Amino acid sequence: MNQELHFTPSPRTRLLLRLLAGVGVLSLLAGAALAPERAWGSLFMASYALVCLGLSGTFFIALTYACGASWAVALRRIPEAMSAVMPFGAVGVAAVLLFRPSLYPWTHEAAAHELSGFKAAWLNWPFFLARAAVYFAVWLLFTRLIVRTSRAQDRDGDPAHTFRNTKLSVAFLPLFAVTFSMASVDWIMSLEPEWYSTIFGVYTFSGLFSSGLAVIILLAIWMRRTGPLRDFVTEEHLHDLGKLLFAFATFWMYIWFSQYMLIWYANMTEETVHFIARQRSFWLPLLVLNVILNWGIPFLALLPKFTKRTPSTLAKVAAVVIAGRWLDLYMMVQPTVTAGAITFPWIELGVMAGAGALVVVVFLRAFRQAPETPVRDPYLTESLHYHN
Amino acid sequence: MSRLLLVGVFEKEDDILSVTRAAKDQGLSIVDVYAPYAVHGLERALGLKASKISVVCLLAGIAGAVLKLWFEVWASTFDWPVDVGGKPWNSLPAFVPMTFEVMVLFAGVATVTALFIATGLRPGRKPKAVVPGVTDDRFALVIEETDAAFDLPAVHRLLEEHNAVLIEERVEETEAP
Repeated sequence: MNQELHFTPSPRTRLLLRLLAGVGVLSLLAGAALAPERAWGSLFMASYALVCLGLSGTFFIALTYACGASWAVALRRIPEAMSAVMPFGAVGVAAVLLFRPSLYPWTHEAAAHELSGFKAAWLNWPFFLARAAVYFAVWLLFTRLIVRTSRAQDRDGDPAHTFRNTKLSVAFLPLFAVTFSMASVDWIMSLEPEWYSTIFGVYTFSGLFSSGLAVIILLAIWMRRTGPLRDFVTEEHLHDLGKLLFAFATFWMYIWFSQYMLIWYANMTEETVHFIARQRSFWLPLLVLNVILNWGIPFLALLPKFTKRTPSTLAKVAAVVIAGRWLDLYMMVQPTVTAGAITFPWIELGVMAGAGALVVVVFLRAFRQAPETPVRDPYLTESLHYHN
Repeated sequence: MSRLLLVGVFEKEDDILSVTRAAKDQGLSIVDVYAPYAVHGLERALGLKASKISVVCLLAGIAGAVLKLWFEVWASTFDWPVDVGGKPWNSLPAFVPMTFEVMVLFAGVATVTALFIATGLRPGRKPKAVVPGVTDDRFALVIEETDAAFDLPAVHRLLEEHNAVLIEERVEETEAP
C-alpha cells in the first residue's frame, strides 16, 4: 500500500499536463494583451468551474454520509482530493470580483439599468464582496472539517468519526443549497442585472453535480487502471456512478427546460432578454449543442446497463459531459462579456485547458496525502463487497 | 409423464448462493431457486439472462411519446387551432411536458403489464410455494433428474455439504404448470 501512496503519473501524462498548463497560461496572457475583457471573462469561467468542482466533491461526500450510502466509501478519497481544488478557484473568483468589477454592468452603469429598489440595494459592491467572503468561508470550513475527520479515522478507526461526519454533512447540505444558490445569482445572474430566473440556483447546481460526477468517474477509472484503486473500485461502483450521472444529466435537462419553458411561455421582457441573446445567429446551434452534450448523449449512451459497467465507454460519456459543462458555462457568461458578439473561443478554451491541468495536479497532490481508500472506515468492507 | 425433483432447503443466504454455483458447475439441471427476498448475485449464480422487460419499457415509452406528440401537433395545428398568448400553432416547448407525462404513463403501465403476463400473475392464481418456509426464512433449490446419468446419492451429498436442513424427493406431473 505504501508504494501506491507514491503514485506518479506516467511521463506522457506529465508532459500532457505541462503542455495544457502552458496553453492555459499563454492563452490568459495573450488574451490579457489582445482582448482583456475576454481574458477576465475566461478567468472567471475557469475559476467558477474549479470552485464548483471542489464543491461537487464536498457535496458528494456529504450526500453519501447523510444518507448512509456505504457503497461509495471505497472511492471516497477521490471526491475528498477533488475538494482540494476549491481554494484555487476561490482565488480566481476573488481576483475577478476585486480587480475587475466592471465585468458586472451594475457596478459602473447602474443608472442605465433601471433596477428595482431591492435589487439596487442588494447589488452594491462592498455587500457583494462580503457575501462572497461568507460563501467561501462556509464552503472551505465544512470541506476542511469533513476531510480532516475522514482522515483522522485512518489512524484510530473510531466509528465516532463517522457519526461526526454525518452530523457535519447534514448541517452542510442545507447551507450549501442556500449559499451556492445565492453565489450563482450574485456572480452569474447579475452579469445581466435586469434578468430574473427563480430556478437559476437549481440550474447551476444541476450542472455542478453532473459535471462533478463526470470528473469523479474519470478520476476513478484512471486511478483504477493505473493502480492505486485497482483492488478497491469495482465495476459495481462504476455502475452506480454511471447511474448517478445518467440521473443528474436528466435532472440538468429537466431544470434547463423548466427555466426555458416558463420564460418562453410568459414572454416577459425582463426574462426573455437572457434567451434572446442566446438564440441569435451562431448562439442558436450552440444552445442546441449544449442540450445534446449535457443530456442527449449521456441519456442515450447510459440507458443500457453494459455501458455503465464498461470503463472505456463510461469514461467517454463522462468526457462528453465535461465538454458540455464548458459549453454550459460559456453560454451563461460569454454573451454578457462580448455583448452578444461571437468569436472563436480560443482564450476561453485555452484557459479552461489550463484549469483542467491544475485540477489533475492538485488532485494528485491531495490524493497522495492519505491512504488511497478510507482504510479503517467501518463501512469499507460493505463497500468492497457491494453488489448492484 | 412425470419427473423426479429434488428439493434442498437451506437456512442461509451464503449456502443457497454456494450450492447454486456448485450445482451449476456440475451441470445439474436447476428448475428454480426460491428465496424470501431478492438475493444479490443469485441471478449470476443461476446464469440467468438479462430480463427483456426493459425493452418493453423503452418501446412503450417511445410509442407514448410519438403518439402524444403527433396528437398535440394534429389537434392544435390542423384540427382546432387556438390562439394562446399569440404563440404559433405549432409550439414545441408547450407540447414537451404532456409528451413526457404520456411517455411515462405508457412505459409504466406497459412494464407492469408485461411483468404480470411474463410471470403469469393474474387474479385467482393459486400460490405455489415449494416449501412453506420460502416466504419467510428458508431458501430452496429445486433440481430435476434429467437422465440416467443422474447420480442421486451424489446430489444428496452435494446438498448436505452446503448445510441443507431438509432434502425431499418429489415426483411431479410435468403437465402441471
